[in-house]
Amino acid sequence: MMHLLSLNSAEVTIFLVAGIILIGLFLGFILYYIFTYRDKQKAYLLLESQNKEIENNKKVIENTLIDLKATQTQLIQSEKMASLGELTAGIAHEIQNPLNFVNNFSEVNKELLDEMVEELKKGNTEDAISIAKDIVDNEAKINHHGKRADTIVKGMLQHSRNNSGQKEPTDVNALADEYLRLAYHGLRAKDKSFNATMQTDFDESIGVINIVPQEIGRVILNLITNAFYVVNEKKKQLLEGYEPTVTVATKKIINPSGSNVVTISVADNGNGIPQKVLDKIFQPFFTTKPTGQGTGLGLSLSYDIVKAHGGELKVETKEGEGSEFVIILPI
Amino acid sequence: MFSDFPHSLYYGILFIGALTGLLLYSRVSAPFKSVALLLLVTLVNELVARYFKYQLRISNNPVYHIFTVIEYLLYAIIYSQFFKSKKWKQILFVTVLLLVFWEGINLAFFQQITKSNTNTLLLESLLLVILSLNLFLKIRTDMEHGNLLSMGSLWFNAGVLLYYAVAILIWGFHSLKVYELQDPPRIIYTLLLLFNTLLYSLFVVSICLDAFSQKKPKSAS
Repeated sequence: MMHLLSLNSAEVTIFLVAGIILIGLFLGFILYYIFTYRDKQKAYLLLESQNKEIENNKKVIENTLIDLKATQTQLIQSEKMASLGELTAGIAHEIQNPLNFVNNFSEVNKELLDEMVEELKKGNTEDAISIAKDIVDNEAKINHHGKRADTIVKGMLQHSRNNSGQKEPTDVNALADEYLRLAYHGLRAKDKSFNATMQTDFDESIGVINIVPQEIGRVILNLITNAFYVVNEKKKQLLEGYEPTVTVATKKIINPSGSNVVTISVADNGNGIPQKVLDKIFQPFFTTKPTGQGTGLGLSLSYDIVKAHGGELKVETKEGEGSEFVIILPI
Repeated sequence: MFSDFPHSLYYGILFIGALTGLLLYSRVSAPFKSVALLLLVTLVNELVARYFKYQLRISNNPVYHIFTVIEYLLYAIIYSQFFKSKKWKQILFVTVLLLVFWEGINLAFFQQITKSNTNTLLLESLLLVILSLNLFLKIRTDMEHGNLLSMGSLWFNAGVLLYYAVAILIWGFHSLKVYELQDPPRIIYTLLLLFNTLLYSLFVVSICLDAFSQKKPKSAS
């Protein structure tokens, strides 16, 4: 070995120095690699644990979302039932009218039939025929009012049923009119002192439009019920010359973008909505009614229903003068 | 049995490496099976080379001309098993072709069969340093293993990088200077031999570590 080292030429010296530098460099690289890998690995493990945590949180959130959706479904159902409760008195009143007609006309018919038998016995055929015509007319009226009761019951069932979400051609004027009367009679049945003027201004050119009638009906009912509530509240303030009025109007218009829309507006001359709560009225569970009187879901669900129809639900209000809610539906 | 301590150490480690590879062959993963095969082939090559030199008393350089190509082919297989991707398999295939082509050119024009094929060894070393650096990058990117120091591929790759980086210098020096020197500086080759011993020692370590890490899931199951 010593003999080999004695070959100390310039090239060998350069070579050895270069070799040592090279070895040092690569050893340094490997050591640097190992140490920085540890740091990176720590960061990686931290990231991995954070990812796991995020994954766990995601699962928790997903489960919470499922629970929330279930709760939302229950709340929607509760809101439906609540509105159905509000309607019950109105429905009873509305059914009572045709039932009265049916009972009265059937009693009259019974009497007319007796008379007809008497006339036939007497041989007064012409009188008998005249009475028979009256019976036929009454029968038509009985049939008409029976159908009316049938329509009301079907409407009530539709209101409470889980709708299929299928749109169908619907006469919005008839829908709005029906819910206006149901809401009014419902409130009247609960509070005999309640009274309000109902005004309607329906645009007959609308005809039928494609909507989910149960859903839009629920929205209209909610807006009308709210309107009656606020005018009644204002009436309680015993303001002189105040005449509580709720106006329901429909209109077919062309909006600024050029497409046809139908508007259904529910206006009241109540106290209006204070500016500070105006931004919150469509939020779920927001209510100005006393505890136990409102779920705070009515306007929120109404907003969602109208949005689902591709429409808009707008509100215009003036404090002390009243509010107007406008449903804008594309056709 | 061998001329000096560095040689005795070198052959001893090579023998232990080949034996370890054979014993742990069934336990190790695919790349380390190839490493075991490389150690065995290297041992056979060295024994044949010694036989040429000391028994037949003829130049053993022809053995190294053949061995260099076989050795690089085995390295290419090992790296393709580490990289796993089709792109790398294609690249490695091209480098094998390049090396074979270069060996042919070298044989024909520069270093005949009876001379040391340092030009080919230089190219092989260069390619292996590049592959080694890329594997380091892959290990860092993949982060597949919990403890880096227990990774067989780390020690295998560190050995390749260290040895072949030094080899570039040595074969380069040889290709440029040896023919001008009457008495080549053997210290350089002793240094190379020691690094070669280190390389095969690290191969043994990597095989053992891989066998140990492969054993765990078996016992767990």
